[in-house]
Amino acid sequence: MASSRQKVILGLLLFLAGGTLVGWIYERPVVGALIAALLALVWQVRQLLAFDRALRTGNFDKFRYGEGIWQRIFSRFAFERDRANRYRRENTQLLREIHKSTNAMPDGAVVLDRANQIIVCNRAAKNLAGLKRKKDRGQRVDNILRSPDLTMLLRNNDSKQSIDIASPVKDGAWLNCRVVPYGPSEKLLLLRDVTEQMTLNKMRRDFVANASHELRSPLTVIAGYLDALAEAADIPSTWAKPVRQMQEQARRMSLIVSELLELSRLEGAGKAGTDELVDVGGLLAAASHMVQGRGDMPEILVDPQSAARLRGDRGEIESVITNLLSNAVRHTPPEGKVTLTWRATTKGADLVVSDTGEGIAAEHVPRLTERFFRVDKGRARTDGGVGLGLAIVKHVLSRHDAELRVTSTVGAGSEFVCHFPAERLSVEPPIPLARAGSDP
Amino acid sequence: MEASDLTGHISRRFNKDLEDLRNRVLAMGGLVESQLTLAISAIVGGDSELGLQVARDDYKVNELEVSIDEECSRILATRAPAASDLRLIVAIIKTITDLERIGDEAEKIGYLASKLAGMDRPSNSYRELKTLGTHVSHMLRDAMNAFARLDVAEAFDVFHEDELVDEEYDALTRQCITFMMEDPRSIKRVLNVTWAARSLERIGDHAKNICEYVVYMVQGRDVRHTDISKMSDIES
Repeated sequence: MASSRQKVILGLLLFLAGGTLVGWIYERPVVGALIAALLALVWQVRQLLAFDRALRTGNFDKFRYGEGIWQRIFSRFAFERDRANRYRRENTQLLREIHKSTNAMPDGAVVLDRANQIIVCNRAAKNLAGLKRKKDRGQRVDNILRSPDLTMLLRNNDSKQSIDIASPVKDGAWLNCRVVPYGPSEKLLLLRDVTEQMTLNKMRRDFVANASHELRSPLTVIAGYLDALAEAADIPSTWAKPVRQMQEQARRMSLIVSELLELSRLEGAGKAGTDELVDVGGLLAAASHMVQGRGDMPEILVDPQSAARLRGDRGEIESVITNLLSNAVRHTPPEGKVTLTWRATTKGADLVVSDTGEGIAAEHVPRLTERFFRVDKGRARTDGGVGLGLAIVKHVLSRHDAELRVTSTVGAGSEFVCHFPAERLSVEPPIPLARAGSDP
Repeated sequence: MEASDLTGHISRRFNKDLEDLRNRVLAMGGLVESQLTLAISAIVGGDSELGLQVARDDYKVNELEVSIDEECSRILATRAPAASDLRLIVAIIKTITDLERIGDEAEKIGYLASKLAGMDRPSNSYRELKTLGTHVSHMLRDAMNAFARLDVAEAFDVFHEDELVDEEYDALTRQCITFMMEDPRSIKRVLNVTWAARSLERIGDHAKNICEYVVYMVQGRDVRHTDISKMSDIES
């Protein structure tokens, strides 16, 4: 660059010197210098005007002339301009492709900024949620989709959570919403049409409920006649055993049916109310009394570390405790030990049932709450369990915003922890009740 | 990134105050909408627990009304807003009153649902109430959308919907009268249905009011107590 600058300055100086020399020959050196300067100025202005015209018309080939520095300016400018145009074309093309592909997506996607304002959304979001793509830009998304649950979801900003909201566009349709945070503060709201899944789920629930209901009445008749048969005196004694077995199986079947009905009731119901205060420590003590004294049993310890009351449904919490306790007792040898603990911290409370039984292999743990799932297929049906207990536990807990955590070591024992959030607790001083207080 | 033409003040604080206020009104609208939906599904599904839940939750709507009202007074006192800002505040003060009334009507429907759940159900399981309820919740949803988008055209659509709701209400009332004449034993139940229908119809009127405030807020024109045919003149 320095050399070209020197060349320009040197050329100008030489031109002026030449003018002065010619003027000096005619004894007018100053006039010569002035004329030379004027010529240089005219030449420069001409180049400048040509450049301006080229800029205006955009035609650099027609007006491309000039020498030295001007030629370089011309060609450099033309080159940069072509490159910028090319980039712009490529970017536009790329953007169009991205737009096309996001619009082809079956799920709705809404890009949100820090304040949950809509930056852009795709066509599916427009169709599913009734967002207007131009008009709603910059509008907060929860001003348009005004479900209180969605506002909560946006506030939590956790990609693991998802909620179902009723579609604001189509009656009876449901949208599954999920928030995925990305970048420093942006987030993506994903909407998926789950109407079909919801309908299928409802159909399945209704089917189970109806089928169980229909099975119940014939079962009652069968069990009734079996009871009569068992007590009848004029039945040959060879029939005594088959009748007793039939009675047992009929009882088992009606237990399954009633647990299935309970399960479908739990599935259909919403969140448990918060009016009732449940004394969990007392329930633990009562449940251990019920089980103890049947002989051939592991030792049961009750450890209520907290007097905190749980806001929820008493009967359901009781069934959680009974189910977990009877599982623990069934899988623990008589010389083992089962511990029931109720402890509370500021973060929430835990209802813990731990045993020193045979334990559960790690690959079975995630499937424990499935209906009729058995770890040991061989011993199924011999120990009196139905296979629905943990499924009921799971549903009761989810009705109470709680979750079930299972840790287990084969041969050493298992621990079932029901974790309740702090909002579900009441730490008022315990009301003295007959059941309050507990056995150590 | 302007959410609407409310913003654009020199004082950024004022902008933020107005935006927050608007967002809270819409959040209140969302709560009221969900209360209404739950109340309708309680009465149609014969779910007395859900009905009582709706009635119990009405206090949330009331709390929001009080706090938004306070915020409006604070802005009026400290900022002395003018022109479109003043219209916004005035419209909000009126809108939340109507929203709170809608909440009250939903509470009533919730109570009625818990009462009706204990009585015999007709064979059509309150299909007319469901249709009316769906219509009314659409009206409320469109009204709140119009409020969010400051969309006058959408607001005018709600006026037309209200006519339909009124017609449906009349038909339902006539049907109820027939039922009562046919079978006087059903009077107690049918009266409750009539009350629920009446509440729904009132909710439709309140939604219409909200749309009138939207028109006032955007265009500065008062369209209350205007004939609907004349309204379309204004519209065009």
